[in-house]
Amino acid sequence: MPRSQAYVLGSFIVLAVLFPHVAPYKALASEVLIFALFAMAYDLVLGYGGMLSFGHAAFFGIGAYTTGIILLRVTPSIPLALVGAVVFSSLAALFVGYASIRRHGIYFTMVTLAFAQMFYFIAFKWTGLTGGDDGLQGVPRPDLGPLSLHSETHLYYFILALVAVSMFVIVRVVNSPVGTTLQALRENRDRAMSVGYNVDRFRLIAFVISGCFSGLAGGLYALMLNMVPLGALHWTTSGEVVVMTITGGMGSLFGPVLGAVAIILLRDIISNYTESWSFFMGLIFMGAVFGFRGGIVGLLRSTIARLR
Amino acid sequence: MSGQFILVQLFNGLILGSLYVLLALGLCIIFGMLGIINFAHGAIFMVGAYLAYTVTAYLIPNFWVALVCVPIGMALGGALLEVIFLRRLYELPPLYVMLFTFGLMLVLQDLIRMIFGSMGVPFSTPAALAGAVNLGFMHYPTYRLFLIVLTAAVSLGVWLFLTRTKLGGLIRAGTDNPRMVEALGINISRIITLVVALGTGLAGLAGVLAAPIQNVRPLMGMDFLVDCFVVVVIGGMGSLGGSILGGLIVGEIIAVGVMVWPPMANTLIYLFMAAFLLVRPRGLFGREAFHE
Repeated sequence: MPRSQAYVLGSFIVLAVLFPHVAPYKALASEVLIFALFAMAYDLVLGYGGMLSFGHAAFFGIGAYTTGIILLRVTPSIPLALVGAVVFSSLAALFVGYASIRRHGIYFTMVTLAFAQMFYFIAFKWTGLTGGDDGLQGVPRPDLGPLSLHSETHLYYFILALVAVSMFVIVRVVNSPVGTTLQALRENRDRAMSVGYNVDRFRLIAFVISGCFSGLAGGLYALMLNMVPLGALHWTTSGEVVVMTITGGMGSLFGPVLGAVAIILLRDIISNYTESWSFFMGLIFMGAVFGFRGGIVGLLRSTIARLR
Repeated sequence: MSGQFILVQLFNGLILGSLYVLLALGLCIIFGMLGIINFAHGAIFMVGAYLAYTVTAYLIPNFWVALVCVPIGMALGGALLEVIFLRRLYELPPLYVMLFTFGLMLVLQDLIRMIFGSMGVPFSTPAALAGAVNLGFMHYPTYRLFLIVLTAAVSLGVWLFLTRTKLGGLIRAGTDNPRMVEALGINISRIITLVVALGTGLAGLAGVLAAPIQNVRPLMGMDFLVDCFVVVVIGGMGSLGGSILGGLIVGEIIAVGVMVWPPMANTLIYLFMAAFLLVRPRGLFGREAFHE
């Protein structure tokens, strides 16, 4: 690892460890981490796979509901609940991916969106299992062996550990043969195909891995909130993660993390002043398209280049 | 389950289908021309309904005035939107235009919520169209019948305009290959403005028509829009005929779903879409390599 990257990574770690003590409230810090993981997992599909999925709310939401339902109705074990979240969201990603992966471009976007909406309606109507419109209330937060997660600080560090491990895995995936093949497919599909790569299979692998970590992020979200809001499955959640990834700078993995941090914090700040934060967030998105197209990462890179 | 009930439900499916058709036509032509999904389309539909409310409740208490003026006003708004904002984004990947429309959706929805509140506003059926018509085999609300007939007429008009007029031909040529059209000496940017105006106007019309039969509330267009995506996917991207047929199919599926198992009515269309895509991956009339 080059020295400059080591510095960046080091400062990231220091910031992440100190974060809950400077954030306005602890849960906000946890939320930032959760969406950072979600956005990074999403970048695997958009930034590296070149697939604009608008259905990732499904995997996030299914992860959240699985965790909630296991903790509430099956067994009060956090590891089991999170494993369940990962398994079920991966299965959902396999199903959605299998049905949509052969479609490209806008078609892919619409099909993933429509499938996600299907899960939304199932959760909306199956009130006995999911609580319907009210969301799944009262998800418990059992102790993890000797560690009590009732304290928001403890929960934050628990989430930090899982998010850090997940991010490490995602970075490894991107630099693995699968990841480099994926980038080759994004850059030049025809050439990669003529070399003999099975395009759809690699796209599906990326989609499922992305869905798996989105589900983990969803499971952590359920723990953080002590509930699962129905909105987690709504297609605007997919829109949010797309926006985070683009404003951060897609295809850079840490860009989406910055995007998630920026958007969650910004929303928190705006909602302190006005109820109509979504109006201002919308304006910011519209402006961002005109302003910085390389995302936050692009902005940082060009600033650094200018300083040199 | 009586035959009468089934017939009424099938007609209701036609109503829903009519609204889908109007929205899907707009989505479809904008998509064909710009290669983007207009995420603000549902919000535009909602704004149409609220403008109809504003006109009839505060300005001129006449539904017909709203029915004519709101779509025209919305079309002008769409043209302005294209000229001021969208035009500057065409050289970018479509992703950014979609991000823009996503932001626009949030802005419109929250703006309407700030003005009118999140609870929704009352909207009654216009007096001239109140009551029911005896169709011989059943009685059916006049307004709903009117909606079906008007939508059929408008769809036919749009169809004729795009397939039988010179301007329509230019639009179709522009969706196939904008650069070629430009190379032939035609001002493509004016055509794009026209297309966005037409799509926005149709969504506005759908909003006015939906106002008396749906709850007029800020989020009314949000999930409706996703149903329209299903319509476009089933009909085939970029196909007008597909949007019309797809709209009617999806409307009827929901109507049948409501008869058979109400909680699953909305889920049914997604399952249908999944099954349908396995058989016909490009939908009914989708062309190969069209914006793929």
